Amino acid sequence: MTKPAASQAERRPTDWKSAGMQKRIRRRYAAERRFRMLGAGAVILSAAFLGFLLLTMVAQGWRGFTVTEIALPIDLKVAGLKVERAQLATPAADLALAGAGLEDAVENAAIRAFGAEGGTYLAPSAWLAVREAVKRDPSLLENRAIVHVPAATGFDQALAGDGDAAMEAGVARLRRQGAIARDFNWAFLHESDSTDPVAVGIWGALKGSLLTMAITFLIAFPVGVLSAIYLEEYAPKNRWTDLIEVSINNLAAVPSIIFGLLGLAVFLGTWQIGGHVYGPMLPRSAPLVGGVTLALMIMPVIVIASRNAIKGVPPSIRDAALGIGASPIQVVFHHVLPLAMPGILTGTIIGMARALGETAPLLLIGMRAFIVTAPGGFTDPATVLPVQIFLWSDEVSRGFVEKTSAAILVLLAVLLAMNGLAIYLRNKFETRWQ
Amino acid sequence: MTAPSPAPHKMSARDVSVFYGDNHAVRGVSIDIDMDKVTAFIGPSGCGKSTFLRTFNRMNDTIASARVTGEITLDGEDIYSPNMDVVQLRARVGMVFQKPNPFPKSIFENVAYGPRIHGLASSKTDLEGIVERSLKRAGLWEEVKDRLSDSGTALSGGQQQRLCIARAIAVDPEVILMDEPASALDPIATAKIEELIHELRGRYAIVIVTHNMQQAARVSQRTAFFHLGHLVEYGETDNLFTAPREERTKDYITGRYG
Repeated sequence: MTKPAASQAERRPTDWKSAGMQKRIRRRYAAERRFRMLGAGAVILSAAFLGFLLLTMVAQGWRGFTVTEIALPIDLKVAGLKVERAQLATPAADLALAGAGLEDAVENAAIRAFGAEGGTYLAPSAWLAVREAVKRDPSLLENRAIVHVPAATGFDQALAGDGDAAMEAGVARLRRQGAIARDFNWAFLHESDSTDPVAVGIWGALKGSLLTMAITFLIAFPVGVLSAIYLEEYAPKNRWTDLIEVSINNLAAVPSIIFGLLGLAVFLGTWQIGGHVYGPMLPRSAPLVGGVTLALMIMPVIVIASRNAIKGVPPSIRDAALGIGASPIQVVFHHVLPLAMPGILTGTIIGMARALGETAPLLLIGMRAFIVTAPGGFTDPATVLPVQIFLWSDEVSRGFVEKTSAAILVLLAVLLAMNGLAIYLRNKFETRWQ
Repeated sequence: MTAPSPAPHKMSARDVSVFYGDNHAVRGVSIDIDMDKVTAFIGPSGCGKSTFLRTFNRMNDTIASARVTGEITLDGEDIYSPNMDVVQLRARVGMVFQKPNPFPKSIFENVAYGPRIHGLASSKTDLEGIVERSLKRAGLWEEVKDRLSDSGTALSGGQQQRLCIARAIAVDPEVILMDEPASALDPIATAKIEELIHELRGRYAIVIVTHNMQQAARVSQRTAFFHLGHLVEYGETDNLFTAPREERTKDYITGRYG
């Protein structure tokens, strides 16, 4: 701007209004605007993807939470069921009703009410609904009544406009009779897997996930946090600790299926060999094994996040505590850990969310089995939500499509609940420690 | 040199050197610290005065590369001997740091923490008494007595530093080390800290590191001048400032370098 001046006095004052300056200002503003638009565009794009995902899932999944019911007029007196009334209150009732031919009676009632095809409109489990109704109200055996029973998968599809001709005719006929109702599918929330999409439920997989997560958390959190504390606060800084640090960082990047193979080889393979001799040690398909495998997988994530959180605690706090004679363990547990807790919890939740959505390693240790009862404990055969989603998405029957979406919604709800808990805990620790 | 057996001095350093890796930060310093006296360490930046101060309560132990040779005694007892419990040493030799560093807890908890971990209070009332006494001695009681449950970090810088002093005296130390305690404070807060040092002098041996020569002249009875890791001159403050024996001391206090 200035000529090579011999002294300060010769330097001309800068002309801030010159054309060159104005151009620079315009270009600076343009660059600023471009950058802001790019940023906003990135946010909008990701929000749009998320919105699209949620909308498709909800649009497909809401049907999974409802059930089509047919109001079936039934007269069990005509069917002539021979059942002792006294038996209905005993555990033998199920057997007695089945033995008396309740299943056929229900099918006949459907044929009588809805024509020759009537039996196919009902779900295979429809007679079970009648059985429960009879047990609740034995007077049904003598009277004509209307019982709401679940409709068959094909019928349900036809109702959604996606069935075959015979079923569509049935839907039209029952609709005229006003015999179709949709209700919230409570069974979906407390039943487990089934071959019939109408009868499936998510509870078994959800409970399996919760049990697995409990094991994962109980192992990964304490071990991960203690490792981080040791490495940050106690371990000497030398070649060995450098090596450990590199190894942990690499472990965090290992594909999850490798951990599945490890779980298969070590927990089920090596230990199980002993199991054959000395009795069963670790069962297949169990939340215990799944949880330990996932704990190994997310431990590096927790260690790394915890180390960063511990590093972030100002050294002046350590000095202050040491300066009045706190022992190293008191410094860690009274001062460093509480201050690092928000960061540690964030890392833990990221790890837990990853474990909750993990499928591949669990397939390898056998948690993909077809299991029709919810697991009773940590060693019962179980499956988990993402594996259940994988299994259902693989089913041929079209009725499973909406169940898959519904299961995805349940998985997302659990994730949201976990994140909510993490945010709550983080805020709680932060207000206490400012 | 040998240690004087029944120690006439509160703390004595004999031929102390500190190394940070290959860096020889403090070179063969010997000095005596007495009760009821304020001893000031002065010297230009990087002369090793803070490093040397931190050898008195073994705070250098927390730095992995730091190594201390020579002997430092507290009441004639070698504080670097394996028999010395560092935790107890640091309770007996308290420290106040350059930047106020209260715990992010309530004012009460800040002062009560030390007595609690050392089991100095027999009851809740006892503990409350200790907290009140310490805050009074640190000249902070009147300002905070109505808000003891407020966070210590919400106080002003000067108040925070006095809170740190209260926290240090709550464990009833014998020696208090102060590492440039007023360098992060404004002149009014500095004046209060200096006043406080005057009042505390009767109860404790106080060692203060300072950049500020006027401050050393105002608060201390003895002054040690450090340069490049060496103790150049140590004597009565009045003498050192009016009639320094060493040329380097004279150059420093007259502002030729520093």
